Amino acid sequence: MKERALTIVSIIAALALFVGAPQIVNAYWLGVALQLLSGIALTQSWVAFSGLTGYVSLGHAVFYGAGAYVMALLWQSAALWEILVASGFTAAALALLIGYPALRVRGPYFVILTLGLSELCKYVVIAIEAALESSGRLLFDTPDPVFLYYIMLLLAVLATLLTWGLARSRWGAGLRAIREDETAASTVGVPVTFLKIMAFVLSAFIPGVVGAVWVLRTTFFEPMQLFSPTTSFTIVTMAVIGGSDGAPGPIFGAAFIVILSELLWARAPQFYLVLLGILLISFVLFIPRGIYGQLTALAQRRRA
Amino acid sequence: MDQIASTQLLLSALILASIYALVALGLNLIYGTMRLLNVAHGDLMMLGGYFSYWVFQLVGIGPLWSMFGAVLLTAILGAACYLSIVRYVIGNRELAARLEANSLLIFFGFAIIIQNGLSMAFTSDPRSYGYLNSILAVGDARVELNRLAVLGLGTVASAGCVLFFQFSRFGLATRALIQQRDAASLVGINADRIQLLVFCVGFGMAGLAGSLVSMTETVTPFGGFPYTISAFVVIILGGLGNLGGGILGAVLLAIIEIYGVALTSAAYRSILLYGVFITVLLIRPQGLLGRSAR
Amino acid sequence: MSFRNFALKAVLAAAALSVALPSYAADPVKIGVGIAKTGPFAPAAIPTLNAYQMWADDLNAKGGMDVAGTKRPIQLVVYDDQSDFTKEAAIYEKLITDDKVDLLLSPYATPFHFAIVGVLERYKFPMVGSTAASVQLRTIKPGNIWFPTSAIPDKMGPELVSLMKKQGVKTVSISTLQSPFAQEMEKYVKAALTDSGIKLLSSQQYAMDVKDMTSIVSAIKKEQPDAVLSLSFPADSILFMKAAREQGLTAPFQFVLVGPTADFFGKIFGKNLDGVMTMGHWSPYQTKWPKGMPFFEAYSKKFNQAPDYLDVALAYMSCEITEAAVAKVGLDKEKLRKEISSTTFDTIDGPVKFTGVENSTTPTMFLQIQDGKPQIVWPPKEETAPFQKKGPWVN
Repeated sequence: MKERALTIVSIIAALALFVGAPQIVNAYWLGVALQLLSGIALTQSWVAFSGLTGYVSLGHAVFYGAGAYVMALLWQSAALWEILVASGFTAAALALLIGYPALRVRGPYFVILTLGLSELCKYVVIAIEAALESSGRLLFDTPDPVFLYYIMLLLAVLATLLTWGLARSRWGAGLRAIREDETAASTVGVPVTFLKIMAFVLSAFIPGVVGAVWVLRTTFFEPMQLFSPTTSFTIVTMAVIGGSDGAPGPIFGAAFIVILSELLWARAPQFYLVLLGILLISFVLFIPRGIYGQLTALAQRRRA
Repeated sequence: MDQIASTQLLLSALILASIYALVALGLNLIYGTMRLLNVAHGDLMMLGGYFSYWVFQLVGIGPLWSMFGAVLLTAILGAACYLSIVRYVIGNRELAARLEANSLLIFFGFAIIIQNGLSMAFTSDPRSYGYLNSILAVGDARVELNRLAVLGLGTVASAGCVLFFQFSRFGLATRALIQQRDAASLVGINADRIQLLVFCVGFGMAGLAGSLVSMTETVTPFGGFPYTISAFVVIILGGLGNLGGGILGAVLLAIIEIYGVALTSAAYRSILLYGVFITVLLIRPQGLLGRSAR
Repeated sequence: MSFRNFALKAVLAAAALSVALPSYAADPVKIGVGIAKTGPFAPAAIPTLNAYQMWADDLNAKGGMDVAGTKRPIQLVVYDDQSDFTKEAAIYEKLITDDKVDLLLSPYATPFHFAIVGVLERYKFPMVGSTAASVQLRTIKPGNIWFPTSAIPDKMGPELVSLMKKQGVKTVSISTLQSPFAQEMEKYVKAALTDSGIKLLSSQQYAMDVKDMTSIVSAIKKEQPDAVLSLSFPADSILFMKAAREQGLTAPFQFVLVGPTADFFGKIFGKNLDGVMTMGHWSPYQTKWPKGMPFFEAYSKKFNQAPDYLDVALAYMSCEITEAAVAKVGLDKEKLRKEISSTTFDTIDGPVKFTGVENSTTPTMFLQIQDGKPQIVWPPKEETAPFQKKGPWVN
């Protein structure tokens, strides 16, 4: 009971801190916080699908990129919130379109198929842009970073609630059953295909909106970068480091990576990346359940 | 359209196929025996490429000899990687339960380390050198000698590797391991030793491919990833763990890359390539020559 | 109460004093840069950073930067953008708000410039750009960013066609990388070709991650054009040149858009680069620009490689312009903006004056590599050597 109260208090404190941040910190740290929040939102969305089902998606960059593309196309021709919603729905629709065929394969086939699909979408967008004779899209008069920050905060909270709710629901139990043994789950009557596809679609919506917000921040759209597979790899890294079996993990993972990168990137960029590689390997080997998983395990041991 | 039938395109397609086959083979072996997604494969190639580049620059010896060094270097790295990390991962029940995801991340970590290590050591300038670069007329086509060397050596190495795993005792044991892990250990196959050797061979093949390719293409610290993606596409097209299927996949990919582009437009190169890849997986989720029962 | 009042006043006075007092000579001028030290753009971006570094070192060796009459040492604050332009806005925001730099130098390549336009605007921070060129740059509100390049596709297209016409080119084949800059170039070259009397035999685009250009080059070879335009970036420029050599592409006029000006390109192709045309508007062999050759020699000596005749020259020009403006008006942003917008600057590339965001004095030029040296072959007024036909490929 005491622990529960503590958790609630710390969540409220953290939220208050994030809400108040623009009044406290300078623009630079606000930028870091923006990165943190977008990391949380993306990783939560990934965990909601891949963490629970065990289907490792290397294709979340495509939802992010699709959202960014919708924003780049529609900016200044519709209201901001309309475009944001459109970005989310576009990403979700794309997930529905590719989810049905993609989710027929499992394991490594799914991993590489999602990577292939995301590359395919990238080159389709490049071909469309080439046909439109567009040479990258500059976005003018984009909103103030503080405003974007609050949108991103909302997205991070929504994504966290999504994963939290999903992980506790019957639906989530069904997804976990798929992760443990899909064939068995299916024989005991879990509607595996439906659950998987719906979770996939749901997990695509928020990355779409995040991409749309992010392109407002970068003020320039170019498909090679916004559909870059690096985005997908970063998301997976954050999930694994934080823990991918529920809502708390991604927060730890995103925070860890963003803070580490801030500490090292400016001073020793190449060393930072080498260290990131070493850390990634070490985490998989020694802390396979991620920071959060390890913390709970420690807490349980203490109680026992 | 008459250029479709030209020797020039045929040669290019064969050369490309031999590179893809060689690159994919090492990846396929490691995946097949241990279910590990080695996303650092292309970066290991670059390592082999840098080795041959520097040997050529410093002592003037070309890859026809230095390729043995490159193989040795990457094979030792493979052994070190297996003994220090992979054996632990496979033996740990919790880690082995999600082997694909875990191996993906471990090798992603490797890839980052190799890329940035290389760029710290040698700067990120693209490197290239002229070796066997005289031009030979083959029928009505003209081709650089080094590309023919890649074709010849790549084919020999790939074929040798496939035959070895098809017919040797060791190869038989490996394939038994690929097909039935549990049963293999029951009949007394020493899985640990086989896996160690497979790692050496798999990494060594990447080193060999890199060494050969360094004659014809530039070597850069970040140049490995496209090869990794291509190699994955190839082995998935052919069926994971199926060595012969991998060769088929390599030929298919090279045909798309050369003839697909010549028949349509180079603008659609990537769309065609990934489009075919996805279509094949949708029709045959286990790959062209993969076994459906898994 | 009165004590508190006093204390407050004392603090305020001290603060006011520290602002009012002239800075000590030892107080460095901080200059911020975000650039690709790692990732795929690093090979091309690092020479640019070298130019900045050389400029800073030279100034410091001479006692510092002249800030409206006071010499102050300079300190570069450099961050790695990891070849990812979506990180650039945050980096420049950090430079401005956290490092509180006095001046900014530009990142490498067009998308990275575009990604910080919003930040410069928001903080009203003037910065001279460098390696960016696109017709889109004209859509940017002038006042915070200026582009010293004269290689803008809508000007290069017609000029290139004029050059081809003068060289008696009757037929041309084009291949274009699906990348913004190359595509812009293709568009304006094609537009200029209509009614020029030069026949466009073929024009094909290819995807970004092309691995083999055999079929593209063999199709072009079949057409036997007088001129071949490869609108490519370094990675595919290399593929194109290799395939062209292998198949013996013999067109007398061969143009490769981006790459031939880089040092590593010369190292890869050696003699085979001779006769290849490329974009660029600087050559150390232009005697009209006395600063050019000393810069070339100093850079070559310091870094043991030739500067990129396009990128490094532009980066150095941006330093020269910044330096001259600061010498005259100091570090005040408003004064700097006015100064940069209105003055004609003397650079290694001759006089530069901006109209809007654009360099309006330097004409569009083309380079040809001759004997390993970059020579300006167009326009006639700027020529450092006459155009030569591309000779046969060698081993």
